[in-house]
Amino acid sequence: MKKKLLAVLLTGAMAMSLAACGGGSGDTSQDSAATSSEASSSEASSSEESSSEGGDKLTIWAWDQTFNILSMQMAADQYAAEHEGFEVEIIETSSDDCQTKLTTCANAGDYSTMADIVLMQDNSYQKYLSSYPDAFTDLSNININWDDFGALKQSYSMKDGVHYGVPFDNGAVIACYRTDILSEAGYTVADLTDITWSRFIEIGKDVHEKTGKYLLSSEANGGDTLMMMIQSCGANFINDSGQAYIVGNEVGDACIDLYVEMIQNDVIKLVNNWDEYISTITNGEAAGIVNGNWITATLMTTEDQSGLWEITNMPSVDGVASATNYANNGGSSWYITSNCKNVDLAMDFLASTFGSSTDFYDAILPNTGAIACYLPAGESAVYNEPNAYFNDQAIFSTIVGYSANIPEFISNPYHYEAREAVNTAVINIVNGTDKAAALQEAQETLEFKMSE
Amino acid sequence: MTEKKNKSAIQRRLVPTYVFLTIVSIISVFPLYWMISAATNTSTEVSRGRILPGTHFMENFKNLTAQQPLWRALGNSFFYAILTTVVCLLVCSIAGYGFEIYHDKAKDRLFSILLLAMMVPQVATMVPLFQMFSKAKLLNTAVGFILPMVSTPFMIMMFRQNARAFPIDIIEAARIDGLNEVQIFFRMFFPTMRSTYAAAGVITFMNAWNSYLWPKVIMTDNKSLTMPMLIANLITGYVTDYGMLMCGVLFCSIPTMVVFFVLQKQFAEGITGAVK
Repeated sequence: MKKKLLAVLLTGAMAMSLAACGGGSGDTSQDSAATSSEASSSEASSSEESSSEGGDKLTIWAWDQTFNILSMQMAADQYAAEHEGFEVEIIETSSDDCQTKLTTCANAGDYSTMADIVLMQDNSYQKYLSSYPDAFTDLSNININWDDFGALKQSYSMKDGVHYGVPFDNGAVIACYRTDILSEAGYTVADLTDITWSRFIEIGKDVHEKTGKYLLSSEANGGDTLMMMIQSCGANFINDSGQAYIVGNEVGDACIDLYVEMIQNDVIKLVNNWDEYISTITNGEAAGIVNGNWITATLMTTEDQSGLWEITNMPSVDGVASATNYANNGGSSWYITSNCKNVDLAMDFLASTFGSSTDFYDAILPNTGAIACYLPAGESAVYNEPNAYFNDQAIFSTIVGYSANIPEFISNPYHYEAREAVNTAVINIVNGTDKAAALQEAQETLEFKMSE
Repeated sequence: MTEKKNKSAIQRRLVPTYVFLTIVSIISVFPLYWMISAATNTSTEVSRGRILPGTHFMENFKNLTAQQPLWRALGNSFFYAILTTVVCLLVCSIAGYGFEIYHDKAKDRLFSILLLAMMVPQVATMVPLFQMFSKAKLLNTAVGFILPMVSTPFMIMMFRQNARAFPIDIIEAARIDGLNEVQIFFRMFFPTMRSTYAAAGVITFMNAWNSYLWPKVIMTDNKSLTMPMLIANLITGYVTDYGMLMCGVLFCSIPTMVVFFVLQKQFAEGITGAVK
């Protein structure tokens, strides 16, 4: 027994020393699929550098195998067809992990482990650009006609008039409704098109009375409904000088009043988290959903509801001059990091695929469902094909059309913090707290978060 | 007769206890059951709240292996977790043994400082650690992966506490018999403290298996993917396939469950500080 234990210990010590000698030996022993080029780069000196050392290879951080990663792989294949030797290595890295790594690298003053190109969420990018401006490459010299992208989408990746990102997936907000539930209550999607939230509440009360279903589902804490409402008015919960602006915000007040009214009158089913949010849709508990158009991918997984859904624009906020029926939620863009050793190649790659190719967007749409922000893409035949799940509506061209109408608003680097603060205030108001007190608390919370 | 009466009275008194324990057991085991059952259902069925087992396990498994390098992630996780456990047990047991057996005032003071290190959260040391490892050219290496985990104050403390129960007479007898200090450690202390090693092994293996943040920061290529990273990748997309996700979680949980169940008895003894 003693000998056995001693043997285990010695084996462990041996494995340890082998690993130490081999540098990245943990990789080579297990990854039989590693290509010879990858294997040859496993020497300690080069393996720690995440970005490419010039040459024709670019490393990329992105998340979502079936969406972002597949789109990027298809872009790389298209580019490689015309540029011999070009290749990409895509490292699956979630949005949160990308931010953690970026923060760690920036604080350590060592960007050498960053990829050449990273995908970042539109809602969080500004915070990292202002905190770590030296982490990104400015794209002033990239060959992209920026007018081909909606103004709002561009603004997410810009600072002081300088572009830092190539826009990718579209976050234009859509309202999706179950036509069968609506018709049970005597309505069609046309009745919910180009309407205000007040009219939406009227219909919502009626639908709940007649069918027992809610017209909308919304997440209590992490939900974006309120943010979409205020941003559809070209406003936000921060003011022009970038300070928290929850108290005394007239547009914000109007949105909060409408939102609270919807919760109190059973128009909105308020749920605790994303999983419950999806459940309200798959269970048929809610007849509608208002969110970024990427929600269509989730809806389409519920196959037995095919043909029952239709999309239209979101309701607008009553009594606000700048109110529209359009907003943005989610979406992401590609950024070249300061660690990229071959900026010209990276710029040319992004410009000739994501930045200017209708063919590329036509190719990725059927495979990934990734809808372009590139406005000319919306005119192509592929984008105008009817979609059986959505009752044969040409949803893709409709969505690209919506994205051209989204008003710009003051971008808020603290989007998620503001969202949490106002959502908490709404829950407090619904539970009986005085509105002014709840908003004051939200204002103080956001101010504190912004000062951290 | 009286004895029977007493027995049934005791049994009656125990009824609420059993009812309570049954309820608590169901509450504890239900998530485990739900995980297994969800792995056999489609995403929509899981989302609709179905809790009965379904017939889609193979479909979920195929989707998982098509989308993610499951076997490589499992292999990596085993490699790093076993390596970490072996090295950690060796280092921490020697340290704990040293603190207790050769103890003096200076070592006690050092031990207090060591305990203070337990109060420092891992995230607080992330940036300086990353800087150090980057300078030492340890990024993307197995050593870089395991080094911060192989010597933890908690493990050293656990070995030190348990070493207190180790009879000092054995050491003295061994010295008289001609064993040197290294031999005493390996031949006398090591076999005697088997249950402590088992408990420490279970804890270290689980921690290493589940570690996420540090490996994610220090390992920057696809080849180093571990199971927790794989699970994280499954929930980052616009669409979450709950059936596939639970299938992945199941594969991630099985090894830690096996390790725990195999060493369960020793684990309980080790935690309570038994010496055999």
